[in-house]
Amino acid sequence: MSEDVEAWRQYICRACGLIYDEAVGDPDSGLAPGTRFDDIPEDWECPLCGVRKSDFELHTRRVPVVAAAPAEVVSRTPGVVIVGAGLAGRAVAEALRSLDAAIPVTMVTACSGDVYSKPELSVALARGLSPEVLCRETGADMARRLRIRLLDSTFAVGVSRSQRLLRTTRGPLRYSHLVLAQGAKPALPPALPASLTWRVNDLQGWTGLYRRLQGGPRHVVIVGAGMVGCELAEDFVRAGHAVTLLDRLIGPLAGVLPAHASDRLRQRLMAIGVHCPGPASVSEVSRMPTGRLRIVTQCRQTIEADELVGATGLATCSRLARSAGLAFDRGIAVDRHTLRTSVAGIYALGDCISIDGAPCRFIEPIAAQAEIIARDLLGLPHRGYQHRAPVIRLKTRCMPLALHGIPHPDGAWRIIQDDDERLVMEQWQDGTLESRLAA
Amino acid sequence: MNDVVAATPMSGTGLSDEAVIEQVTAIANGPLRAAVTRIDQHGHYPLEIMASLGHAGALGCHLSRNGGRVGLAIAAMQAASRVCGATGFLMWSHDVCGLYLEHSANPSLAGTMLDRHAGGLSFGGTALSNPMKALSGIETMLLRAEPVAGGYRVSGSLPWVSHIGPGQYCGAMARVHRTDGSVSHEILFILHCDERVVLRPCPQFSGMEGTSTWGIRLDDYFVSESDLVADPARPLIAHIRGVFILLQAGMGLGVVQGSIDAMREVEPALGHVNQYLQDRPDALQAELDELSGWVMKLAETPYDGSRDYLLDVLDARVQCSELSLRASQSSLLHQGARGYLAASAPQRRVREAHFVSIVTPAIKHLRWEMARLMNEPFPTELSPAGELSA
Repeated sequence: MSEDVEAWRQYICRACGLIYDEAVGDPDSGLAPGTRFDDIPEDWECPLCGVRKSDFELHTRRVPVVAAAPAEVVSRTPGVVIVGAGLAGRAVAEALRSLDAAIPVTMVTACSGDVYSKPELSVALARGLSPEVLCRETGADMARRLRIRLLDSTFAVGVSRSQRLLRTTRGPLRYSHLVLAQGAKPALPPALPASLTWRVNDLQGWTGLYRRLQGGPRHVVIVGAGMVGCELAEDFVRAGHAVTLLDRLIGPLAGVLPAHASDRLRQRLMAIGVHCPGPASVSEVSRMPTGRLRIVTQCRQTIEADELVGATGLATCSRLARSAGLAFDRGIAVDRHTLRTSVAGIYALGDCISIDGAPCRFIEPIAAQAEIIARDLLGLPHRGYQHRAPVIRLKTRCMPLALHGIPHPDGAWRIIQDDDERLVMEQWQDGTLESRLAA
Repeated sequence: MNDVVAATPMSGTGLSDEAVIEQVTAIANGPLRAAVTRIDQHGHYPLEIMASLGHAGALGCHLSRNGGRVGLAIAAMQAASRVCGATGFLMWSHDVCGLYLEHSANPSLAGTMLDRHAGGLSFGGTALSNPMKALSGIETMLLRAEPVAGGYRVSGSLPWVSHIGPGQYCGAMARVHRTDGSVSHEILFILHCDERVVLRPCPQFSGMEGTSTWGIRLDDYFVSESDLVADPARPLIAHIRGVFILLQAGMGLGVVQGSIDAMREVEPALGHVNQYLQDRPDALQAELDELSGWVMKLAETPYDGSRDYLLDVLDARVQCSELSLRASQSSLLHQGARGYLAASAPQRRVREAHFVSIVTPAIKHLRWEMARLMNEPFPTELSPAGELSA
């Protein structure tokens, strides 16, 4: 090996955040360790979400400005307080630290703060990944690396805006700036009690379900055939479990996809073994004396299952926003260029925000949002956040799907290509391509 | 002991909010102000003042039968606590005992007994500190009941129960055990402090000595069906939980207002140096006004059983504690040496603020409970249908 060999580089998937490391390669798809990104064939796909090579970009890990600071950082001056330790909260902490070595940062999180990739959760079981493998860095290590104060297992309760105080279950915290990266929570319909229904929206929820699915094949009922529901259904079936996928609509993703595409997805899911019995709403769930669950639908159909998963969508909890007097419209309303909320000194990003009344719950925009917030609150120049609707990508291997643009619910779709290999459909409005799906 | 004033007909309940507050303020600034040191330091139990507060309508206005004016009850408690925190605490104890009686489906409690209680003609408090913590999972329940013919037999000890005395009563709760020792449910009952109950004097407290606080020991105390407030107890407790906690805001808000009063008192003489202190009276008053406005808003829907409402109540209650700690501390600093005198009001209010912050639910209990409420449950192994955590 020559001494002047170029350092290994890393490339990040803009859709799901997976990192392709040249040093490690992707042996599962035949890329030996040491395969340069440039040498990867163009038809190679992201092993996590199935997007193409062209959707990757060079990843430069942000290096915090070096400063001699103790690992445990407790500052007496109020600094930035971040609510949430998910990708969004962490991205802001990393952006701040790379721009300013000294600014005190406190992160408040209800969980442990452990670092993991959320998109991986819906494909982890079939890959045999364990919670230990999914956890890339502990919260404590992350806090040390970024030299921030992490308050884990701590709930943010309210905001005293006149005093710039975040009230938490471990006492009030003064802030100079508050960044809300609280995410969105699974919104379960009343018929699905939280004590009987798993939600796979974080590592903790996934881990609980993972442990229950370890003892051999189980029957899992998934309610909600949206993106998460479809991906989990495929993952659980591939891991050897029996899966029933219920939705109140006629087919998977029927609220977003044209009927033809939804039907194709349904057939593909059924072909790998997912049971899709057609439109059904759950009216009642109870645990039987045997420990199994009894799920009754509105048309009085009864299903017995070992586990129940609710994938019925997400909603932003409005509690902090209400307490701080922030404008709220299906999410914390933010300025589309600065990510400022309606109250001075408070920013928001990620799954909890809405821009012009529309929530945007995708990975892709988060890094850019974090960068803008960090620059804006530090008073550094920036070009402003440019919001674009991200490409919707479904990671189901039986039918990977990408949806570009925002389809009109009543708009007509044209079939461009439809064979065993590929489905391409387009929606045109007044001579303009509004939306395109490729599967 | 039970009857302090001559049994006049129920009075005060038909009074307007303004009239109630006016009378309470007059009592607070008159006889209560004169007695406050005796109450705080020398253990004077001010039943004569409680009787007059009852006569003024301040001890029954929160009850549904009197218009359910929870905000008024809090404001009255605030007006008394502004002068004497111990009396504010007695009012709270009395008020919640009234809630037990009113919300009981037992006609022998909700009739004459409640009439006399609400009018301040008889007195009783609440022994629910331990049960409330037990239902939150903080500690185990201390009283144990066994079903017997016609009621229950209850045994066990409670370390400190306030606003009781020989001939008085309090609401109490016990866990019912089956013959095999397992717990079936809990009961809420009226405990009469008669000859069957051993009242043990408590060690000296650092303040608020006049709250008539005793240790209680019960040995096979018989609870008859006529004294059962709720069996099972949990539905009633769940129903009144928010208002139980919210009413305590009156104590904290009063201590804060009293502390601000003491700062203003010395402003003419010490304002030129006090300007260098933080937490100045105007700033604290603004915080107090904001907080009490929020508390009054919450008092409009005291039986909203939603999780979000309960979180708001717990959060507001924490803020009352935190603000009373800051305000009382600052008040003492504003008064300087005179505030350091043993009998000074700021000195007393520091102890009162500590009391507001450690009495159940203490700051730490409130935060525990908020964390518990915000932690959404996942399915657990072997959880039989219908089993709820406390």
